[in-house]
Amino acid sequence: MKSVRNLYVIATSVVAGSLFAEGLARWYYSGAEGGLRFAGYVFVWPVCYFAAAVGVILLGWYWLRLTGRITSIIRELKADKTSRIKSGGNKIVNELSEAINDRFDDNSGYIAELEKQIKDLQIQIRLSQGQKRNAEAIVYSIRDAVIVIDEFDKLLMANEAAGKLFNFDYKSSQYKPIGELVSSEKTKAGENGFVDFLCQSRQSKARHTRREIVFSNEGRSRIFDCIVSCVYGEGERVCGVVAVLHDITREKEISQMKNDFVNHVSHELKTPLASISAYSEMLVDGEADDEQTRKEFYSVIQSQAKRLNRLIEDILNTSRIESGLIKVEKGPVSLTILIEEQLQMIRSYAEEKNIEIIGQKPIVFDQVYADKDMISQVIVNLLSNAVKYTPCGGSIKIETEVDEIAGLARVSVTDTGVGIPEDEVEHVFDKFYRVGANKKQAEGTGLGLNLVKQIVEKAHNGRVFVTSEAGVGSTFGFELPLATAEAVKT
Amino acid sequence: MAERKVLVADDEIHIVHVVTIKLRNNGYEVISAENGADAFALACEEKPDIIVTDFQMPGMTGVELVRKLRQNETTKDIPVIMLTARGFAVEDKEKEELEISELLSKPFSPKELLRSIEDILYQRAVMRNK
Repeated sequence: MKSVRNLYVIATSVVAGSLFAEGLARWYYSGAEGGLRFAGYVFVWPVCYFAAAVGVILLGWYWLRLTGRITSIIRELKADKTSRIKSGGNKIVNELSEAINDRFDDNSGYIAELEKQIKDLQIQIRLSQGQKRNAEAIVYSIRDAVIVIDEFDKLLMANEAAGKLFNFDYKSSQYKPIGELVSSEKTKAGENGFVDFLCQSRQSKARHTRREIVFSNEGRSRIFDCIVSCVYGEGERVCGVVAVLHDITREKEISQMKNDFVNHVSHELKTPLASISAYSEMLVDGEADDEQTRKEFYSVIQSQAKRLNRLIEDILNTSRIESGLIKVEKGPVSLTILIEEQLQMIRSYAEEKNIEIIGQKPIVFDQVYADKDMISQVIVNLLSNAVKYTPCGGSIKIETEVDEIAGLARVSVTDTGVGIPEDEVEHVFDKFYRVGANKKQAEGTGLGLNLVKQIVEKAHNGRVFVTSEAGVGSTFGFELPLATAEAVKT
Repeated sequence: MAERKVLVADDEIHIVHVVTIKLRNNGYEVISAENGADAFALACEEKPDIIVTDFQMPGMTGVELVRKLRQNETTKDIPVIMLTARGFAVEDKEKEELEISELLSKPFSPKELLRSIEDILYQRAVMRNK
């Protein structure tokens, strides 16, 4: 406020002026006469003193105004630390205010900058944490066992599968030495081999090393395909390894089964072929002296050729169904009708052997949801087996039951045939399996029942069953879901 | 010279039959069995000059039969020819250990079988005369 400054000037001038005037008057009136002196006492000195008093009051007022303004600045500073000071007062007070405000602005700017940096850092931290959680989630979600160790062989990360495999808590075992976690006390042989493998891989610095490792857990042996990859830090330094263990037990089993199957097939095919080849050679070399022998040889060649053909057909059928290559065309099918059809075809064969066939129909609805041709094949196989392995004069019964509660239709074929020894019953549905004692009774490829099992169980979700007593007879059968039950499911 | 005796063991009757005819036509006496156990019993009883056996038979396999033959005083020196439908059924090591004279794979030629039998018996005769 200009007025306050001016006031200061005026007040000071008045005081100074009046004091000067008073001094001047004193000097002037020191030599003056009575009357003039009296005028002086009455007039000049009071004026001077009055002016001086006024001046002092004005000075006082100015002082108060100044301190008041400073006090209000202090109050403002104390009250609100984040706002600028409203400038006020005279030049000095203004300058003070401006200086304080400048300092304030600088600090504000600086604080704002720091706050921004803090926010950025917080965002980065959150992103990093998110990424770390993602990485962990990724590792945890992997079905194969994953173990990550650092250059000091301490566990960095492991997932649930690894925890289950090696029997440790995968979430709380960080930084424990891997040798401790994968100890040979907890699981059987192979684990030390695994830890050694990890260390060797790390030391070798090779990008990837692969080995098959066998673990025994609770009596079961499992094979794992283990790939260990080195993690490189700065330069070529290996700062850790990641081991991934993939369970290949099942694959190995299947591979072994395939191998066995191929061997078996090759043997089965070569057997009739051997006969064909040998008998042909005998004929060519003239080893069959008479017509009778020659006819015999021709007949063997023929029958073995047929056998070979049947074998090939059965093998192909079984393989096709197993590998899902055959299109299964399901529709509502009446078992009774199918059975009736097949009975017609087999009756003449049965009559040759004087075997009685009894068919029993169910009294209720027996439709199943199935592929007509495939189920016909099943019925044919069961019926022809029954006739083949029943001696002359025997009997065969085929009956169909419907279990509405379970939603199943059940067909059983019971014969009074040669039966199957107890220890062989469980194998009859295996590929190429032929009951030793019964091989003489009839020719067979050993694939008929396997085909039945594939069709019923694999293609139709049903079940095959067998009961038998050697020397008495056998009951073979299958269950299929009823058409209503299947329709509800689909 | 007495007729040489051959024991044929195979669960396939057609194979047994064709081998029997071939050998009989060429002056051999033939006895046969359909499984390992019968073959062993017959070998002990009849002491054939040579045995022709299949690799795969129900019950006792061909290899098991030969092992048993080699452990028995009466039969340990009888030469054996093995017929097999599987290419790598018997390893070289096993063949040597069991002293199997020859491995013939099926389908086999009866003519070749005859030739093998004759060669083996001839060599035996030569060694015996030394």
